[in-house]
Amino acid sequence: MNEPSMPSRPRLADGLEPGRLRQELTGEAPPPLSVVRADLPDVTPMSFTGEGAEYFRIWVVNLLLTIVTLGIYSAWAKVRKMRYFWQNTRLASHVFDYHANPWAILRGRVIALVLLGAYSWAFEFSTVAGLVTIGALFVTGPWLFLKAQRFKLGNSSHRGLRFGFDSTTAQAYRIIAPILALWFSATVLTVVATDSMWPIGIASLATGLGIPWMHHRLKSYQHAFATYGDRRFAFEPSLVSFYWVYAKGFVLVLLGGIAGGLLTVPFMWTLGRGDDDPSRIGLLVMSALYGLGVYVFAWPYLAARLQQVVWDATRLGDVRFHTIIEAWPLGRLVAKNVLLTLATAGLYWPFASVALARYRVGCMRVSADLPFAVIAAGTHAPSGATGDASADAFGLDIGL
Amino acid sequence: MIALPFAATRFDGRSAAGEAAFVRIVDNAVEIFAADDGELRDRAPLARVAVSESFERTPCLLLFAGGVTVEVIEEARRLREVLATAVEPSPVVRLQQYWPAVIAALALLIALSIWGYASGVPAVARWAANAVSPALEHRFGERVLALMDETQAQPSKLPTATRERLTARFAGYARRSVPGVPMRVEFRDGRANAFALPGGIIVVYDGLVEIEPDDDAIMGVLGHELGHVVHRHATRQLFQATGVVVLASLLWGDLSAVAANAPTLLGILRYSRDFEREADQFALDFMRANDVPVQPLYRLFVRLQSERAPRKRSEAFDSFLSTHPSTEERLELMQQEIRRRGDTPSPDRKDDGGSR
Repeated sequence: MNEPSMPSRPRLADGLEPGRLRQELTGEAPPPLSVVRADLPDVTPMSFTGEGAEYFRIWVVNLLLTIVTLGIYSAWAKVRKMRYFWQNTRLASHVFDYHANPWAILRGRVIALVLLGAYSWAFEFSTVAGLVTIGALFVTGPWLFLKAQRFKLGNSSHRGLRFGFDSTTAQAYRIIAPILALWFSATVLTVVATDSMWPIGIASLATGLGIPWMHHRLKSYQHAFATYGDRRFAFEPSLVSFYWVYAKGFVLVLLGGIAGGLLTVPFMWTLGRGDDDPSRIGLLVMSALYGLGVYVFAWPYLAARLQQVVWDATRLGDVRFHTIIEAWPLGRLVAKNVLLTLATAGLYWPFASVALARYRVGCMRVSADLPFAVIAAGTHAPSGATGDASADAFGLDIGL
Repeated sequence: MIALPFAATRFDGRSAAGEAAFVRIVDNAVEIFAADDGELRDRAPLARVAVSESFERTPCLLLFAGGVTVEVIEEARRLREVLATAVEPSPVVRLQQYWPAVIAALALLIALSIWGYASGVPAVARWAANAVSPALEHRFGERVLALMDETQAQPSKLPTATRERLTARFAGYARRSVPGVPMRVEFRDGRANAFALPGGIIVVYDGLVEIEPDDDAIMGVLGHELGHVVHRHATRQLFQATGVVVLASLLWGDLSAVAANAPTLLGILRYSRDFEREADQFALDFMRANDVPVQPLYRLFVRLQSERAPRKRSEAFDSFLSTHPSTEERLELMQQEIRRRGDTPSPDRKDDGGSR
């Protein structure tokens, strides 16, 4: 029985617990061949293994340390949170990982805070200060967005290889600047053209109609320039489907508005009775309920459908992506999350975010004509690791 | 110390192809062997290998300095037990793995948040407001007034003589009570209301003078607004609002911007009521020091209250009044002052009894 050519292999494998690796090494049982057929693509599901109760403990400790350090710890908290979510995300039994340097995130947060503070306060001081701030955001915005993408992807890895974002600064400006121009147009016109309402109206309408276009342009930028090792993601144009989803979403927002309006009816009635001046709080409660109605009604549809459109249009070489996410289960999940989070003053939040991640990740499908292991074997680190060092200067959180 | 080897997958950092491997912990060093030929691939002291944090269902990830990643999936728990005897987990990790400590952290978190909201933020806001130069404060107030004039405010329709009489009398009182406090009264057309902007600009709407022509009542209202000026409420409110936004976004910002902002607005309302009480008290002291009777102010409040019941709710600056303490509470405060001064209470008192 003891063949001299391979003495160490069975002996080492004998120490293994039962599992896939032991099976592969000892040849006890062949790997299941249920999905592997030559004429069909190899479909690999993704899974999320996190648990609400476990993330709750991380969340509480993160929050306490963040409050005690007046927000400074939030950068370390972000790394711990991201690691928990990435390391619990599996594709073909291997996990993702997050490597960001918390100091870089802290630097990024200080920059973001300054920009945000300037943007929200500048117009309070003077029109000129406001316009200067918008100008500064317009000029730096594309570059900051590029840095944020590089930081996020460059610090994420799978199977020992980093993701990346391979866009030049010129490309970032060419793609992002028109989005920012449209986005700021209404604000700038409101300030500059005070004597006529026409330009403001037209700019606001254009911004509203342009939202799907802006979203699509941004998503295609994010997906078309992303890399994994030496492979590059590709994004097929899908602008029409974006508009179609948004149009249906708009109808749902209208319906959600009616639903939100119905929710507020009891409050309208109490307000009408003229109690001791509850108008401000009453209005707040009303608008909160209204917003909640719209959110629970319309957001899951938009989120689910857009994810389908985005991932169906994304490729990584021969690898295709797909999500089986559906509006109705997502809507039920969101409604439950919102209700329990409100009822527990936020304590349910860690459970909610784990449940949402489990559903969203579990819906992802990765398919290819070749088995995943074969594709992985053909994926290498890019020659000469450029850009990654500069990505560590500061990390911006732009959640899009 | 030699532990049994752990089955793992080794990624060399140059290719995504994984290699079946074994991990061995020998004398505080980590050794990685290839599974097929049994060759030693990597060896490093434990202190030089980054070990991923211990979560319940994640693989144990070992990151070597050269870019090699080793993933132990099925025996992650046993490997962590072995590693725990060699490497001390960080205090944060230990805190988070122990349920009683987590509950204690939660209790501390809630206590700190409440303390921060009730005392911490107001204290910091007071300190920050004092650090703001009066010139900047004044500039900011002028900017708000200019914005109001541009958008909605109309010039006052009161006779110039009335405005000058009220302003002169109030300025005299203010100089006597709080010398050196910058202050300016501005009249605008509109429904009965008054408020103080940063930098000591007090805005009075004509409706206030029309509803209660007794100058003594107006002195009381202006005294109240002067209280806001003296205590720098406008600037403190600005900083407090910012502080509450920061606190709320630290607590709930993770959820969504809406979730972080809804409690914020309610929180700002409460601070505002505290400021109103402080200003009310200042007004009563101010009136006493300048021998202004309280009854006219009391009368004004009763009239305001009966006016307000049927009024429309959507008007601008509606918010101003509802951020105040209840009218009953404020009337009671004035009643006490009237009694203290030995005057007879106003017969109007019984008028407001039935409106609630």
